[in-house]
Amino acid sequence: MSRRASTWAAEAAAVFVKDWRCEYRTRYALNTLGLFAFTTLVVVSVVLGPIGNSLQMATAVLPVILWLIVLFAVTAGLPRIFVAEEETHTATALRLAATPSALFCGKAAYGFTIVTLLEALITPLFLAMLQLSIARPGLLVTALAAGGFGMAVGSTLIAAMVAQARTRSALFAVLLLPVLVPALLFAVQLTRAAIAGEPPGVELRMLLLYDGTLSVAGLMLFPSIWTP
Amino acid sequence: MEPATCLRFEGIKRRFGRLRVLTGVSGTVGPGEVLLVHGANGSGKSTLVRILAGLLAQERGTVEYRLDGRALAIDERRRAVGYVAPDLALYEELTAVENLEFFCRLRGVDAGRAPELLDRLGLPHDRLAGALSSGMRQRLRWGWALLDRPRLLLLDEPFQNLDQPGVEQGTAILDEHLAAGGFAVVANPGPLEVPRVASRIDLGG
Repeated sequence: MSRRASTWAAEAAAVFVKDWRCEYRTRYALNTLGLFAFTTLVVVSVVLGPIGNSLQMATAVLPVILWLIVLFAVTAGLPRIFVAEEETHTATALRLAATPSALFCGKAAYGFTIVTLLEALITPLFLAMLQLSIARPGLLVTALAAGGFGMAVGSTLIAAMVAQARTRSALFAVLLLPVLVPALLFAVQLTRAAIAGEPPGVELRMLLLYDGTLSVAGLMLFPSIWTP
Repeated sequence: MEPATCLRFEGIKRRFGRLRVLTGVSGTVGPGEVLLVHGANGSGKSTLVRILAGLLAQERGTVEYRLDGRALAIDERRRAVGYVAPDLALYEELTAVENLEFFCRLRGVDAGRAPELLDRLGLPHDRLAGALSSGMRQRLRWGWALLDRPRLLLLDEPFQNLDQPGVEQGTAILDEHLAAGGFAVVANPGPLEVPRVASRIDLGG
């Protein structure tokens, strides 16, 4: 690996570690995402009951509910990735010190680990509370990982775009939801296939393509979004 | 003949909405020199410093930072300046040494520079930045600016919140920086005793 590449990777890793260190000391994102997701999950399970017993209901309704919980939790918690930097004026030091693409990569990796933790927390609860059995657990894990990655990268990019706006919270949701619609649709289809025990089909390739496209677009667009 | 190392800006204009803040400001500063920028509150001192740092785009005019004969692109300039300003904050959830070590990694500096600077500035290593007094935070900003020994320091109200020993220390650090061939732009609303002032810009107000 060249010196330039290793410096870039070290920068991205430093941003990732810094964000987790700050999160460990405040637990802002984990508390926000976790509480939102857990509350919604309890409400859904109490209202719907053990509908996972019916395969038709399980494949038609539950994948959508699972991904909506993840989506709204992400919308509630991940804008902080950049908003906090602007609000606390640490963005100035970051702009003067970090390579923009490395910063984006470190922030996206942090967002991805947050989403992964959230999914690891709520998915087993979701399956247990709605008495849902998964015919292809490996496919479910793939759907969660690929869908979560797309959400994290999309959220990071949109959070950077809206961080300097006054109406950032409303703007975040308005811009984020259209960007994440493809990821949501593919992830729901994959989750449905995992429950029904069907092969993944074209959705898995489309979701991976979406993730790749969004990552490249993020790396290319971020420098011009971040710097004046 | 063009000097090998200098900061030169010409005809800088900037407005915010209808408010014209800078209307064609020009200046030059080279090794061993200080360019002092005066002006009342709202006269555009911080705006000028932010433009010179590459943190804000000017509407008109040019900024050129030549380092050892090469003109730096704006993203290189951003990473090559030391910056002290009221709008610069470090992470309150991290300790003083963690903050500086983090920025050492971003700027490719050995992390051992962080404790060295904190000792020089008389700051506690393990206290959270959020628990530092306003004067200590200002010293930490100085530490941040000096991390990778930049040739150019951009100092906006550099002695804000500092006690007399802090002001003396800051002045001594600036003097050392200039003696070693560095240079600086210093912006302050009031009169300021800084060494080696080569030129002044009065933005009025």
